[in-house]
Amino acid sequence: MFAAENGLKGDPRLKAISDAITVVPHFPKPGIMFQDITTLVSNHKVFKHTVEIFVDRYRDMDISVVAGVEARGFMFAPSIALGIGAKFIPLRKPGKLPGEVISEAYELEYGKDRLEMHVGAVKPGERALVIDDLVATGGTLSAAIRLLGELPNLCLRLHIVYDLLLQTYCGYCDSGWLERNGAEVVECACVIGLPELKERRLLNGKPLYVLVEPREL
Amino acid sequence: MNALSQPSPLKIKEAKIASSRRSSVFTKSCFFTPNTAAAPSRSDLLIYSRFTAGASATAPERRRMSGAAMATSNVDGTDDRISRIASTIRVIPDFPKPGILFQDITTLLLDPKAFKDTIDLFVERYKDKNINVIAGIEARGFIFGPPIALAIGAKFVPMRKPKKLPGEVISEEYSLEYGTDVMEMHVGAVQPGENAVIVDDLVATGGTLNAAIRLLGRLGVTVVECACVIELKELKGREKLGDNPLFVLVSET
Repeated sequence: MFAAENGLKGDPRLKAISDAITVVPHFPKPGIMFQDITTLVSNHKVFKHTVEIFVDRYRDMDISVVAGVEARGFMFAPSIALGIGAKFIPLRKPGKLPGEVISEAYELEYGKDRLEMHVGAVKPGERALVIDDLVATGGTLSAAIRLLGELPNLCLRLHIVYDLLLQTYCGYCDSGWLERNGAEVVECACVIGLPELKERRLLNGKPLYVLVEPREL
Repeated sequence: MNALSQPSPLKIKEAKIASSRRSSVFTKSCFFTPNTAAAPSRSDLLIYSRFTAGASATAPERRRMSGAAMATSNVDGTDDRISRIASTIRVIPDFPKPGILFQDITTLLLDPKAFKDTIDLFVERYKDKNINVIAGIEARGFIFGPPIALAIGAKFVPMRKPKKLPGEVISEEYSLEYGTDVMEMHVGAVQPGENAVIVDDLVATGGTLNAAIRLLGRLGVTVVECACVIELKELKGREKLGDNPLFVLVSET
């Protein structure tokens, strides 16, 4: 849901945030009006307001994990994590994270991409946020939600038992439901969200919180 | 002391504390790549223990750590924070290629106190020093740079791989071990005369930092210092930076 309809109606910080975004037409392809947040992060006051709005919202929600989507999500998520005392988990393009990872495919306009996360970075039952700069179709965030995962109850109990056995046999982390980490994604949060999402309050069953709509030229 | 002898009791204690803290976060077997030949308990000590003496060419995973290289204003509190920070960094062998020991900071980010201490150490150094710009190098520089920028009142400027930044950019080519890469930044992100600190997670050969220094210099910005969490001293990045100062928290030899 959009911040203006969810407690921040008329908040001057939202207008300042929207004004700090630069629209770049026809990037990366003709027809796309790119929402450039680099002018937001280079405006200290507005960048601070952005992080404060998220920190104020999530401070008392018992969140222990803030996951950020590479690379622009990395500019926002760590500050939010530090502000609420949570750990930060990077969700990355394939091949970037060393060690053992799980991955999820998601659709692009043309073709597919993958998002990866470290195995064992979250414990079952931890409460998590997913942060990115912008949500359009929700494909990337949906992949992130699946990575962090919420296991069905029976699977969760079995997973905890299995996890103890997993100490020695880590190579068995292959089957779909056992790979899922079982964190509870409390909300996905983005600075910018396309207006079509107003009708969709949920993404993959998870609430979505957005500060502003895309800026017009 | 023979490099293969057991670490002293103090060092074993520290390694055990580190590994028990980490085992509460995730299972050990998932944590390590399975290609280490040593038995799990011994490889825990090898990887977690940052304090074993005697660097050896045949056992490069044992590295001596010296904290806060170039920190000219050490206070007593700094050492405790730095040893905790160093203990949270994990080494992944043979990533991204065989023979490379990868310094993984994601485990540091999983420890909120260590992450906060990391940022605090940089903020203490740079606040009230008239730093206008924190330039962070994609992508791990994006994790450390913005919190520092927010805390000291500076703007954050991302230094990116090619074709990621929209609008008008300037580019700088730099050498990799094999081949070259290109770094870009926005024209107009900075003003001539501004003071900048460049932030990245790690400095190896110094090639990436040098490219960032050149880019900012072309726009009339003074690079006051480069700041990294980790330095790989063997790769002599500090020398490659020449007169440009470098500040790191953890120095690996």
